[in-house]
Amino acid sequence: MRRYEMMVILDPSMDERAVQPSLEQFLAVVRNDGGTVEKVDVWGRRRLSYDIEKKSEGIYAVVDLTATPATVKELDRQLNLNEGIMRTKVLRPELH
Amino acid sequence: MMAKPALRKPKKKVCLFCHDKISYVDYKDTGLLRKFISDRGKIRARRVTGNCTQHQRDVATAIKNAREMALLPYTSTTR
Repeated sequence: MRRYEMMVILDPSMDERAVQPSLEQFLAVVRNDGGTVEKVDVWGRRRLSYDIEKKSEGIYAVVDLTATPATVKELDRQLNLNEGIMRTKVLRPELH
Repeated sequence: MMAKPALRKPKKKVCLFCHDKISYVDYKDTGLLRKFISDRGKIRARRVTGNCTQHQRDVATAIKNAREMALLPYTSTTR
């Protein structure tokens, strides 16, 4: 089990109140595989420094979680398959 | 007091991160990282920032991570 930090940029057309539930849906895979989700921090709408998919805004969310490498890989794969997710980044904060 | 320009010794800069004892440079902290990029969006050189080798490297990776997530620009044309 390792600690991970994941940042997600979601489609700005999404309702901000819908962000939390839809993230929870993705994070179910972590909980099912015996991992834990420590914190879900939704930053809200934020201007992007450059356009992504012709959009100038995005909804940012940062998730702290503990899981096995395979689980995180699966989570990242599922997020990238979803149209509503514009970008993801997974880091291990204590490596640095 | 008044140093002659010809033999002026530049003041030795100390690394901000060593001074403040910050071990992890967070890519989410754009306010801090913005200090280390030029108005064109380029990463400032170590001789400008005064960072130590390790922390300059950490700052550079943090800026690159932030760029990937559109927190910082790759280029900014506004001049």
